[in-house]
Amino acid sequence: MTSFIIAHLYPNLMNLYGDRGNLICLQKRLEWLGYDCRVKSLDIGDEWNFADVDMIFMGGGSDREQSLVYDDLQCKKEELWREIKNGFPVLFICGSYQLLGSYYLTGQGFKMEGLNYFDFFSEGGPKRLIGNIVVEVKNNNETYQVIGFENHGGYTYFNDTTLRPWGKVIKGHGNNGKDHTEGIIFNNLIGTYLHGPLLPKNPAVADFFIRVMMARKGINIDSGCLTDKIENYARQQVLAKVMKIKS
Amino acid sequence: MKQLRIMAAVLIGKAVLALSRLWGNQGTVLPGYWARKVYPSILKELSAGVKKETVIVTGTNGKTTTANIIAHILRENGETIVHNAAGANMITGITAAFVAASDWKGRSRYDYALLETDEANVPLLLEEISADLLLITNFFRDQLDRFGELDHTIDLIKRAVDGSAIKLILNADDPLVSCFAQESGCEAYYFSYDANAYDQNDSQENREGRYCMVCGAPIKYEFFHYAQLGKYYCPNCGNKNPQADYRASDLLMRPFVQVSVNGNRIQSNLPGYYNAYNILAAAALADHLKITPVIIRQAISSFRSTSGRMESISVGDRECVLTLVKNPAGFNQLLSAFANDGQEKNLVLILNDNPADGRDVSWIWDVEMENIMREDRHIKKIYCAGQRSGDIALRVKYAGWPQDEISIAGDIKQGIEKSLRDNSELIYIVCTYTALFKTRKILMRLKNSGYSPKNRYESPLSEH
Ligand SMILES: [Zn+2]
Repeated sequence: MTSFIIAHLYPNLMNLYGDRGNLICLQKRLEWLGYDCRVKSLDIGDEWNFADVDMIFMGGGSDREQSLVYDDLQCKKEELWREIKNGFPVLFICGSYQLLGSYYLTGQGFKMEGLNYFDFFSEGGPKRLIGNIVVEVKNNNETYQVIGFENHGGYTYFNDTTLRPWGKVIKGHGNNGKDHTEGIIFNNLIGTYLHGPLLPKNPAVADFFIRVMMARKGINIDSGCLTDKIENYARQQVLAKVMKIKS
Repeated sequence: MKQLRIMAAVLIGKAVLALSRLWGNQGTVLPGYWARKVYPSILKELSAGVKKETVIVTGTNGKTTTANIIAHILRENGETIVHNAAGANMITGITAAFVAASDWKGRSRYDYALLETDEANVPLLLEEISADLLLITNFFRDQLDRFGELDHTIDLIKRAVDGSAIKLILNADDPLVSCFAQESGCEAYYFSYDANAYDQNDSQENREGRYCMVCGAPIKYEFFHYAQLGKYYCPNCGNKNPQADYRASDLLMRPFVQVSVNGNRIQSNLPGYYNAYNILAAAALADHLKITPVIIRQAISSFRSTSGRMESISVGDRECVLTLVKNPAGFNQLLSAFANDGQEKNLVLILNDNPADGRDVSWIWDVEMENIMREDRHIKKIYCAGQRSGDIALRVKYAGWPQDEISIAGDIKQGIEKSLRDNSELIYIVCTYTALFKTRKILMRLKNSGYSPKNRYESPLSEH
């Protein structure tokens, strides 16, 4: 049986607000499609081997934890960037999304260097951006409404105008609360402020990653072969609530 | 002049209290709000009148139950106390409690003040009140919407107690709490559980404090009591559990907690490890207040949990156990309490996302929900309801429950009635904060109307 391994980066440091829901989701959906999927934790000091894993996931953490992670990533950063350019599937949320840019200047004036893969930066804003969020993204050549929750003190701005935000904010704040952009997408990498159960609530995004993982193993699947009855109910429930509220 | 302002503030507060009660409200916050409007220093003045000691109880989990047990012990000892009501634990609620307990001239009539408050509110409270004791139960991730991250909150409390004469009563088993005294320099007393039969070698429940608070290196555990509570040490800097002043040994949960605290054998009516800690914390604090072991033992054995923390309501021949959950640790505790209880049961999970519940429901993904699949939990059916019934149903689905066997209703009333019609005699109804009151009301109306699910009697609630 074909099996998949998803690397969970620094699960003990970067795992705020139910981020692991995303791993549970990918694991279960692959299982329902008839495949085996394991989550492999990679902590500080662990060796990585990209040949052994099919996807990388990293969640959010506090400022202190984010800088511990940055130090550990120094010796892996070149290899990770090479894989990202080659289309390796990657999902980075909140703090780990900020790490992809050049720096994050916290509200307390503490500057944390980023991996500098992309020319964007983050800085502490006047207030935390908190609440339900709806983002319109292009997924599989269709428009899809991504639903989630954001809670971040960092405001992210793109210097490089050729960078592609992941989507357009319909309700909520997104990267900085001003330019209606949310997250970043590059090849098969997504960085986003939507924390918690992003993938279970947005099965089309989960299936995007699953399709990429499969294609890299030479397998093609039809999307939509799982029944997303409860997913759709949960999406409608939140949409109805959120779209009613004046922004 | 000052005396006049105090009297005016107390009178206004008492008038608002009387009016609120007339309108059927409990009046736990508004009297405080108005008294502070009239005289902003009112809390400072009234709290100076406490005859013996002022105690603050804080922490993420268990502070309400712990404070309630302490209140019960003090009353059994014949003391008069000021004790703010559950849910009224911000500064206005605490002011309201003092207004209600003072006479109309603003003179004190109380031996002790027992103030339960959220972690983030402690610094504010200490600005107005000079407290003698601060009890910290534990620090778990909670209340994300309002306070941001845990580190920050802990830091704020540290700064607030720094250099003051306040004494600390701390949980030696929680690495986030126990290192608290070292940096604040306050006098501290610790309570701790000895190793016992309920411990585990590994804890999946919670990752708080897995890194040393002193040096940042990963800490190691000899064993876990539950979540991050256990016997730990830091291989890098030597940080470890402080020596305990109050040691709990010979723990038994059948399912109610029995434990010896420094040799004083206590039998309670409360189940679960989280209550074992509430009992230990309360016993430690009461001992510190020089209450005798006999009174402590008798008071705890006569204490019963109130107001829906876990409340049983029978509707016809159905036994409904109503439980409040607000974070993963509490939910996990509930699911592990089902283990080996030998009782078949249905679950009704009600998730709301009002500000008081937490607008962010992401935390349900940190619950070890997979435990619902275990045979020793004896769960037959699952119903989901509330404003975010879809989210909780999704969590249940991804825990492995067959999706066609998850019953979903947006409406709480509908969800409860559906579950009552099923033929299980025992129903656990698990609610977030705002869902709890609504659910309780619905159950009481059904109970009092003689609703019987067996006779297919049409519910009085469905009539319009
Ligand atoms: Zn250390």
